[in-house]
This record gives sequence, structure tokens and C-alpha cells, in this order.
Amino acid sequence: MVGRRELTVFILKRILFSFFVIIGTIIIIFLISHTLSKDPAALWAGPKARPSTIAYVTKEYGLNKPLYIQLLNFFEGFFSGNFGTDPVTHQPVASEIFYYFPNTIELVITALIFIIIIGVGLGYISAVHFNSKIDNAIRLLYTSAWATPTFLASILAVLVFTSYIHAFPSGGMYTPGLTPPQRITGIFVLDSLLTGNFGDFVNGLDHLILPSITLAFLNFGIVTRISRSGILNVKWMPYVKNAKAKGVNERSINRNHILRNGLIESNTVIAVMFGWLVTGTVVVEEIFSWPGIGRFAYNAITSDDYPALIYVVIIFTILVIIANLIADIMYAILDPRIRLGGTVK
Amino acid sequence: MSQGNSKKGTGKVAVIVIVIVILIVAGSAAYALSRRSTTTTPVKNSLLVEEGEFPDSLDPAVTYSTPGWEIMNQIYQGLVAPNGTSVTTFVGVLAYNWSISSNGMNYTFYLRHNVTFSNGDPFNAYDVWFSVYRTIIMDQSPEWILGQNLAAGNGINFNITANILNSINYSSPNSTDLQYMEYRNQSVQVVNPYEVIFHLGYGYNGQVPYNAFMMTLTTPMAAAVDPAVVEEHGGVVAGSTNAWMDSHAVGTGFYELGQVIQGQSITLVKNPNYWGNNVPKDQLNYAIEPAILNTVTIEYKSLASRIADLKSGTAQIIEAPIQDYNTLKTIPGVNVTLLPIIFGSSQGAYFMYMDPSALPELNNTSVRMAITYAIDYQGIIKSVFDGYAVQWVGPIPPGFPYYNQSVGNLAPYSYNRTLAAKYLAQAGYRAIFPNGTVENRNNPFPTVNFLYTSDSTSETETAQIIQSDLAAIGINITLTPLTFPSYEAVVFAPGNESTQYPMGINFYTEDYTASIDYVDAIANGYYIGTSAYYNSSIFDASVNASSTFNQSAIIQNFSYITHTMYYQYAIDWLYTPYFLSITASDVTGIIPNPAGSGAGYFMFYNTVHYT
Repeated sequence: MVGRRELTVFILKRILFSFFVIIGTIIIIFLISHTLSKDPAALWAGPKARPSTIAYVTKEYGLNKPLYIQLLNFFEGFFSGNFGTDPVTHQPVASEIFYYFPNTIELVITALIFIIIIGVGLGYISAVHFNSKIDNAIRLLYTSAWATPTFLASILAVLVFTSYIHAFPSGGMYTPGLTPPQRITGIFVLDSLLTGNFGDFVNGLDHLILPSITLAFLNFGIVTRISRSGILNVKWMPYVKNAKAKGVNERSINRNHILRNGLIESNTVIAVMFGWLVTGTVVVEEIFSWPGIGRFAYNAITSDDYPALIYVVIIFTILVIIANLIADIMYAILDPRIRLGGTVK
Repeated sequence: MSQGNSKKGTGKVAVIVIVIVILIVAGSAAYALSRRSTTTTPVKNSLLVEEGEFPDSLDPAVTYSTPGWEIMNQIYQGLVAPNGTSVTTFVGVLAYNWSISSNGMNYTFYLRHNVTFSNGDPFNAYDVWFSVYRTIIMDQSPEWILGQNLAAGNGINFNITANILNSINYSSPNSTDLQYMEYRNQSVQVVNPYEVIFHLGYGYNGQVPYNAFMMTLTTPMAAAVDPAVVEEHGGVVAGSTNAWMDSHAVGTGFYELGQVIQGQSITLVKNPNYWGNNVPKDQLNYAIEPAILNTVTIEYKSLASRIADLKSGTAQIIEAPIQDYNTLKTIPGVNVTLLPIIFGSSQGAYFMYMDPSALPELNNTSVRMAITYAIDYQGIIKSVFDGYAVQWVGPIPPGFPYYNQSVGNLAPYSYNRTLAAKYLAQAGYRAIFPNGTVENRNNPFPTVNFLYTSDSTSETETAQIIQSDLAAIGINITLTPLTFPSYEAVVFAPGNESTQYPMGINFYTEDYTASIDYVDAIANGYYIGTSAYYNSSIFDASVNASSTFNQSAIIQNFSYITHTMYYQYAIDWLYTPYFLSITASDVTGIIPNPAGSGAGYFMFYNTVHYT
């Protein structure tokens, strides 16, 4: 009972802390975006903007008002979902983010599934075959993957799997001309399944595999490494030896003693990785022409689209904070010492 | 025993992991392979085009990008279009004929009957009146293309506002509505439902003719939009865009807007109600012919994906930079052609500016000559573009009308280190001669910040070569690249505050195919570094060149500007890269025109088909 109450308090504290971090982050981003230039309206409207467009941007974002009023308006807009109109695309920024974000979630979750399967699997194999040729090969693989620049891996993937092998489409989320399923979650493959449109589902999967595997390839290394070291740490713990000495079944030792305890850190890394992957999709999405928030961010950067960029940065930041919060909570659930300040009562 | 069990367990996990991964990858690959084997042969009534950049807007009054204009030219139509490959003659589109008054101030257009928008609404002169004033009142970035000659008011007793535009009943105008539209002293005067007159002189150019006016009417700025559609979706708001019009399109063109996958692709579908279907064949021209292909899909992809899709036969037309020419040439089943240099000029003519307002030392002509002679222009073209670029003498870019006549006997600037060092020494600065001699050892030229955009590999490489060339004679420059948006903000900044960047690389890309477009921008001080040498005689010459229809006078004025700028050594004309046409070998019917935005080099997709 005491443990459960402590856990609840711990979680509430972390949520409150994260909330204040988010608020602080929004304020910092607001100040940077609104004070870096003498005339933010001219900057936001773009280098070739007419005076009327600059006037429009000034009015739209209240840039002629005192800074604290602008901040209050900014918060009001943010929490009411009114992010203003994008001066480059002329569409509401909120609807743009609402459109692009699920596409990125689709890519990231698929990549995460690959990362978990490959990362944890190889980490386990590597640990079990500690210091063997297999272990060395796996370490070489994940170190190489980890060290590969994102743009290089993405371009190579396109060249190899679309140009030479013709196994996958070179980009896009689904084939143009295909009637997309009714938008329910905004995640194409999921909506296809929910509406029973198997053709769309397969088409979406076909487009999803290559970018998600590329994203997974670049990032599975950290999970493999953490899994390997976690399992190795546990493998030689006295309680494992004790269980073996007691004649406990090997499978039971692996599952209940080694894997469960050895993968605690991996779980938290995977949670953190979610935020990491979302922010890391910029290059992958651009090269695979994936219409997600990363490509949207890339276009916002290249077209000087500050209003869009501000909210993309805020969304990215919030995701990273939430991912870290989830990781903290998971860690606290899996390892009570965390929530109890490092001691076990 | 326990070790054996462990290995057995490990093996099982390994097998499961491997099997899952292999199943997923192999299953997907097998599906993809089987699917692709049935789709690699292009469907002969559709075309897949791949480019890099998604359109900025689908509103003809707003879009100011090549991809945007490409879509606009298929869905919307203007009064006239360039005549095939010509950049000086025109064919009628929504107008079947026109006349120009002897003083060049009034353009009368006679409109086709039975033209309809794709929604069935009829087109007439009221729509032209509405569309032009809508563009002007919305006042978005490209508005100046019309605004230099036309305005919403006459400055005396007549002014069209957004409210007036929104209040008029265009399908059945009442007498008040007609009073507005038929008023004589305004930029666009409706004579009757099928006749409209453009009166020049109300725009910022003032009361002078403009010989490139017809070309400005070929841009989307002057395309006909349906007032009923605009009114139904928010109407016209002064100084503001219309969100609905930014993402939807209803025009009179041969294609309709099909599927838009935001950030990924746009599909154009043949307009089933296209008015051109009912025009007798002998009255058709290439700009109004009904589309041959049912669909044209334009996907916006990375360069690697574009080339991969061209190789696999998935895409039939792609855009790629000149640097990939040698690679693309080797792909079987693909036609890769170097287009005439006017197409490259239309995309971008590059120069290096020297701005004395940022560095007074650059006021010295000997210094500018030293810098000019220090640069190995041909070396840049060879190493950066594999030789696929030409050196030019501006401000008119090569291939454009009047280029040859304006340049006359002027040779492009040459590379001569001895001469460069001599001029630098003459200016009193430390100069290093090719034989190692150093003059004025104690008075080095100040180190200069050199601007270019790091987003361009060709500019980056060029800047590095220039840095090395200038160092060879004793001038040190610090390379200060900026990302394209920041770079653009500096080079296009109102007032051209270039104090941080006394030298740098700049370029100009066409807004409409007319030499005056370049001359105005480069010679008349609208760009960074160009204002320093602006003078009233060049301005007068540019006004004279654009306001006469006398060919000799045009050439004389352009020639004066070219020669004056040449001997000022204020702008070093660097290079104009060639532009590529890249198509599958069975694609035909493309009519290239530098005014066109289709894959960067043609106007319309209606004539494109397969052999």
C-alpha cells in the first residue's frame, strides 16, 4: 500500500514538474522568436513580402502589442489550439500540424517496433554469447549503424531498395491516385484497417517499410547496447546464481530473473527514444518524401516559415518532455529505488 | 546441463527474432516486387512527374514559385500565352484576338465565347476585370508583375476596393456594377461582356508604355478566376490571402485539380467540361488544345528518389540539376537534353557583387578591376559545372532577347593574374604577382566578408575558388555563408543593408521572360551591391528600353546599360548554368518555353503524350 501511494505521489510530482518545464520551454521559445529580430513581422512574412503582408502578419500575431500581451495571447492561442495562419502556406498552422503529426507517429511507431524487435533481440543474443564472435559481430553492427549519418543511410536505402532492387517505393506515404481511407486517427495504415480497406493498408505498409526500417537501423544500436549491458549486469548477479544453484528451470531464470531485470533500462531508453525519433525524422522524412511533421519542419526552415517553425519546435519539445516523463514513470514502476530516492525500505 | 539449456533458449529467441524480421521484410519485398512487376510499365494515359518543391499556394494571385505556377498553368488560363517556343510572340487563350493602341498605352482584348470554368460557370470580361483587381487588391508578393502598370485606382476619382469587388453581381451586373466595370479611366475597362481594355499608366511605372506587358499577362497573376467561387469562399480581403483558394482551384483550363496529398503530391485530372473540346480543330492552338493524357501526377521528392524512380521507369519526367547531367545520360530509356542557354538564364544568372557602400575601398575602380581579373571564370565553370555553364555579360542574361546586340563586341571578363596584381598595386595595396614579386608589402587590402548561400553546393564551390583566386593576388576574403532564407533576407532586403557583406555571390531568376525584368532588378539598384553603381542615366535608359516598340531604340538603350556596367567593373558576371530536360524516351509533345514552369521549362501538359 505504502509503495502504491509513494508511486502515485512520485508520478504526480513528475507530471507537475514536466508541466512547468513545458511552460518554461514555451516562454523561452516565445522570447527567442519574438525578440531576436527588431521587426519580427518582416522576418516572419518572408524576404519578398509586400508591406500589406507584413501588416497582415503584424495584425495576425499581434506583434505591435507589448511583449507581455503577446505572451498572454500566445498562451491563449496555444491552449485553445489557435496557432494562427501560416504566412507561407496560408493555412491554419494548427490544422497543418494536425495533418502532418499522425503521419510522423505512424513512421515512428513502426520504426520503434523494429527497434524493439531488432534491438532487444540482438542485445539478448549478444549478452548470451558474451565475448564470442557473435557478440563481436553484433557490437560491430550496432556501432556502425549508430555511427552512420542519417542522410547517408537514407539515400543508400533509396538507391539500393528502389533503384537497384525495386523492392519498395522511393517515397511518399501512399500511391497518388489511391482513394485514402476515411480519416479517423490520421494514421494511414491504421485508418485503412479500421475502415476495412485492405488494399490501402497494404499500399501504406509498402510505403512505410523502407523509411521505418531506415529509421530503425539508425537507432537500434542504443537499445541493443543497453539491453546487452543490462542483461550482462544481471546475468552474474548473486540471485541468478542462487536460482541456478536451487535448480530453477533455465527458461524461468531467463524470463523472470535475467530478462525482466536486465531490460529495465532498455524500457526507459525505448520510451525516451520515442521523443528522440520524432525529432529525428526531419532528414528521413525529407529524403523519403514522407509528409510528416519532420518534412514540414524542414520546409518551414527552408522557406523561412517562422510561425510554423515555432509551433513545431514547441511540439517537438513537449514530446521529448512527455517521453522523458514516461521513461521516469516506467523506471519508477520497474525499479522502486528510483521513487524512493535510491534506497529500498 | 544448465549451459546447454541456456544455449537452447538463446537459439530459440534468436530464431524467433530472425524469422519475424525476415518474414516482415521478405513479405513486404515479395509483395512490392510482385506489385511493381505489374506497374513498371507506365499506364499510357497518365504521367508521373517528380520535382523537389511543393507549391507555395494554389491561388494564382498568391503563388510565387515555379512549382506553384506549374500547377496554375494547367488549371487556370489567361488571355494570352507565349506562342510555342517564342518569347516575343503570343497566341490567344481566353482572348481570340487583341490590338495595341499606337501609343502603346491601351491593349484591347476580344474574348472567346462559350468559355466556361470547370464548374460550368461561364467566363466573360467581368471575370477578367474581377481577377486582375483581385490580384492587385490582395497585394501578395508577385502582385508587382501587374502592379507596375496597373492599379486599383486612377489616383483621381476612381478606386476599386475589396468591398466593391465583393459586392458586384458578375453573372448579372446591375447598372451600378456596370458603372464600375465600364468606367473608362481605370486600368481594366470592360467594353462589353466579350471585350476588355487594359489601360497602362496607373501602376508605379507611371504614364509610360511597357513593351513587356503582354508577357506579364501570361503569368498566373492575370489568370481568370471565377468570382462566384471566390465569393462563396470568403471573398476578397485587401492585403490578405484566401485560405480556400490557397488549397483549391477552379479554372477554365484543360486540367482540374485532382487529389492533393499535402506535402507529397498533386494530381491533375483532365477537365471533362473543358470548353476547348468544342472549339473546331482549325481554331485550336497549342495553348488551348484539350489535354491528351487523363492524369498528370506531380510528386515532390528528394533528388535521390527522383533519379531512382526515373531509372526504374516509375517516373516519366523529373527535375535534376545540371551537375547530374553525366549520371543521367547513362540511364537507358531516358532522354536527357541540354536546353538552349535561355532556359538556364531563366532559372538563374549568377554574378559577384562588390558594394562600396559596405567597404569604401571598393570605390576604387582599380581595386574592382583587380578583383575582376583575379577570378578564373572558366575554371569555375569547368570544376563546378563540368563545363555545362556559360560565362556572360549582364545584366541581360544569355539567350534572352537583345543579349547579343547589347553585348556587341564586349568579351566576358577574363582571368589574368598579372593584370589583377598590377591593378591592385596601382591602387596602392599589397599585390602578389605570379612571379612572386610583392608590391606595397605594408598595405594589405582589408579582409572582406564574402556572402553566398550554403544551401547551394555550386555557390559554395564557387566561393571557395574565388577565395583562392583572390588570395593569389593578396586579397583575403572570409567566407560567410548563410542558409538560403537568411541569405535571401540579406540580398533582397529593402534598402540593401549589406554592410556586413561587401562582396558576395548573387543571382537573378526570371519572373516573366523579358530582358527588362533582369535589367530592372540588377541595374536599377533593387539588389544588394547593385545600388552602389545605380545612376539616373542607367535608370533612364532602362525606362527608355522598356517603353518603346522601336527595336533600334531598345537595343541602343540596353547596349548603353550593358557597356556602362561592364566598364564599371562593379559586378563580375560569373556564369549561367545550362538547364536539363529529362524525360522517359517515349514521352513526347513537350513544347519548351523559358516562361514555362512545367518541370521548369514548358508551359502546358496538355500536349504531352507517349509515342
